[in-house]
Amino acid sequence: MNTKVLTNPRFIKKIEEISEQKISDCYQCGRCTAGCPFARYMDVPPSQVIRFIQLGLKDEVEKAQGPWFCAACLVCQTRCPRGVDIPRLMEAVRVLHLRAKEGLLDVETINKDLLMDAPPLAIMSAFSKFTY
Amino acid sequence: MKIPYYPGCTLYTKAKPLNDSLHASFRQLGVELNELAHWYCCGTTFTLARDNRMSLIAPVRILAKAQEEGDQLIVPCSVCYNTLKRANYILKEDTETLDIINEHLEESYNVKEEVVHPIEFLVKNEQLVKDNIKKNLAGMKLGCYYGCLLLRPQEELQFDDPESPSIFENLVRLLGATPVDFPLKVECCGSYLVVNSPDAAVEASYKLLRNARGNGAEALVTSCPLCHYNLDALQAKMKQAHSDFQELPVFYFSQLLAIALGVEENYVGLEQNKVSPKTVLKEHNLL
Ligand code: SF4
Ligand code: SF4
Repeated sequence: MNTKVLTNPRFIKKIEEISEQKISDCYQCGRCTAGCPFARYMDVPPSQVIRFIQLGLKDEVEKAQGPWFCAACLVCQTRCPRGVDIPRLMEAVRVLHLRAKEGLLDVETINKDLLMDAPPLAIMSAFSKFTY
Repeated sequence: MKIPYYPGCTLYTKAKPLNDSLHASFRQLGVELNELAHWYCCGTTFTLARDNRMSLIAPVRILAKAQEEGDQLIVPCSVCYNTLKRANYILKEDTETLDIINEHLEESYNVKEEVVHPIEFLVKNEQLVKDNIKKNLAGMKLGCYYGCLLLRPQEELQFDDPESPSIFENLVRLLGATPVDFPLKVECCGSYLVVNSPDAAVEASYKLLRNARGNGAEALVTSCPLCHYNLDALQAKMKQAHSDFQELPVFYFSQLLAIALGVEENYVGLEQNKVSPKTVLKEHNLL
């Protein structure tokens, strides 16, 4: 077992700056994950993403798909006993990716029927969350 | 009475029935929804990165226009409501950001505008609604679907209790219908995930509809065009994925308001609902 924890203070600080959250506030109760309607789609669910950030595991956080299934529904924000604004942390993780110009949504890949059918705000919202 | 009104982009296109039925209903109540002369997209879903000030510019410009017209702005789309109200809240606290944005704009926002949802207005003016009801919705069992954006974050929106809200039910009762409680009324429908992970939205919305029907709802009511799309238009996909699925019509609250107030049918826009609500309306002699 690898017992060496790789803390990366610059990464932690960056996430804290973008989200304006104190990452050590989370005491890992798991309530956010328990109530997240989309946790079943996430390889790494919200509380675990937060744990990775606490430990400064930048690569693990970058690989995690969890933040990309977050619908910013804010259920977890309402329920966290420590007052952590989890969706702000999920956004910070996405934003770090996107600011490196790695947008994950390509208009060409969106189903054409959906493009014609869905309300503009669905498309705009998805682009604002998943592109640079 | 004239009140400033912000429709937002989607109410001019996919959610036209929400716009039309709301205008007509308010007219019936003697209230003119006075659409802002110049307005822009609010930017849709609120940006959660605190270091991104750009995303606050669109809301500030809208609110600055609104302040010239009156101190309250009526906003029916849940997404716009959430974005404008959150921006307002943040700029009240963060005067540094407000100053920076004001400095760069022609207009200058005084952070005094109050963003009001029509449901809030209607419940507050209960008597006005009661006095104008022409067709009571008696007997209709309705699931009030709040979704996320009217309720959360509660500190900023102050719309209602985020876990156990009741304002929407109060409106439905006002129209004579019977609200049906269902636990998933505050859960997410899948929102914009429909664009890149459509299955997640289909499944989340399927669960919601089943939950509402299981608790006795004959139809669902919402105020959000994105929720409406997921809950209404995706029902065809739910049917493919789940053999037990039974359709449930989904109304905009304003469509039911319009029916209760006896507004002409062409303003109600029922043809635009993918799952036709006509059967349930006929059953209750409302059509
Ligand atoms: S609910 Fe709050 S304290 Fe509990 S794991 Fe999630 S973020 Fe941490
Ligand atoms: S805001 Fe995101 S992480 Fe939190 S419960 Fe909703 S989808 Fe899950």
